[in-house]
Amino acid sequence: MEIPYNVEVREDTGLYNSKLGIWLFLASEIMLFGGLFSAYILLRTGAPMWPPIGADGHSVLHILKDTVPHATFNTVVLILSSVTMVMAWVSLKQKDLSKYKLYLGTTIVCAIIFLVVKYFEYSHKIHEGFVPAHDTYMALYFTLTGLHGLHIIGGIVVLAYFFGPGINMWVSEPERFTNRIEIVGLYWHFVDLVWIFLFPILYLLN
Amino acid sequence: MSRNDMTHHISNYRKIFVYLLIGTVLTVTASYLEFNVQNSIAGAVFVGLTIATVKGYLVAANFMHLNSEKKIIHWILLLTVFFLGLLLFIPLLWDLNLMSHY
Repeated sequence: MEIPYNVEVREDTGLYNSKLGIWLFLASEIMLFGGLFSAYILLRTGAPMWPPIGADGHSVLHILKDTVPHATFNTVVLILSSVTMVMAWVSLKQKDLSKYKLYLGTTIVCAIIFLVVKYFEYSHKIHEGFVPAHDTYMALYFTLTGLHGLHIIGGIVVLAYFFGPGINMWVSEPERFTNRIEIVGLYWHFVDLVWIFLFPILYLLN
Repeated sequence: MSRNDMTHHISNYRKIFVYLLIGTVLTVTASYLEFNVQNSIAGAVFVGLTIATVKGYLVAANFMHLNSEKKIIHWILLLTVFFLGLLLFIPLLWDLNLMSHY
C-alpha cells in the first residue's frame, strides 16, 4: 500500500505529511526541554549563590571557566554542522549526489567531534568530584547536556542511515528522499538551536 | 526550485553562518563584561539570552525555512511558544513571592 502525501502536498495543510509530523514532534520537544529550562529558572532563582556550593564545600565555578573554550568550540562545531546539513539538502535539490555525501558526511563528523569534546568535559568534571549529586547546578548540567547529547546520538544514527543504506531511495524516489533529508535537517537544526540556549545558561552566565 | 533559487539560498546560508559565529563571539565576550545592574548578573543574563534569542531566530528562520513556511506551522509554533512562556513563568511565581504561602 502506498503512503499518501509523501511528496505531493495536501490541499488543506499545504504541506507533505511528514513535514507537518516533524513540526508537531519538534513542538513536543520544545515542551520537553522547556520543562527542564523551567526547573533551571526555579532552582537558580531559589539558590543563594549560583552555582551552589556542594557538601564538600566547593563550587564548580572555577572548573566552568576552564571549560568555556571547549563549549565555545562545540558551539562552532554544531553551527557548522547545521550549515553542512542544510547544504546537503541544497545538493539534493541540485541533483548532485556526491556533494550531498560530502556535506552529510561532514555533518556526521561534526556530530561525533561534539560528542568527543563532551566526553572529555564530562570526564574532567567527574574526575574532580562534580557528579550530578554534587549540587543542583551539576544535576541540571548533566540532565540538560545529557538529554541534548542523546538527541545528538539519535541524530547521528538517522544521518548515518541516510548516508549509508537509506541513500538507495535516491535512485527510486529522488523527491521523497530529498524530503526525508529536509525532515532530518529540521530535527538537526532544532538540536543546534537547543544548544544555542544551553551554551550561555550553563557555561557563561554564572 | 530552480538552480538560481538555490544559489540565492547558498549565499544566504553563508551569511547566516557568519552572523552565528559573530553572535557566538559576542555571547562569550559579553559574559566577561561587567554590567552593573544592582550588583547582580541580571544585565549579563539579559544580554546573553538576547544574543541567544537572535541566534535562535536566525537558525529557525533561515536553516529551518520558517521565514517561508506555511501558516499552519506558524500557528503550531505560536501555540507552543505560548505554553513554553507559561512553563517558564511558573517558577517566577515563587521568586516574586506570589506563592510564598503555599
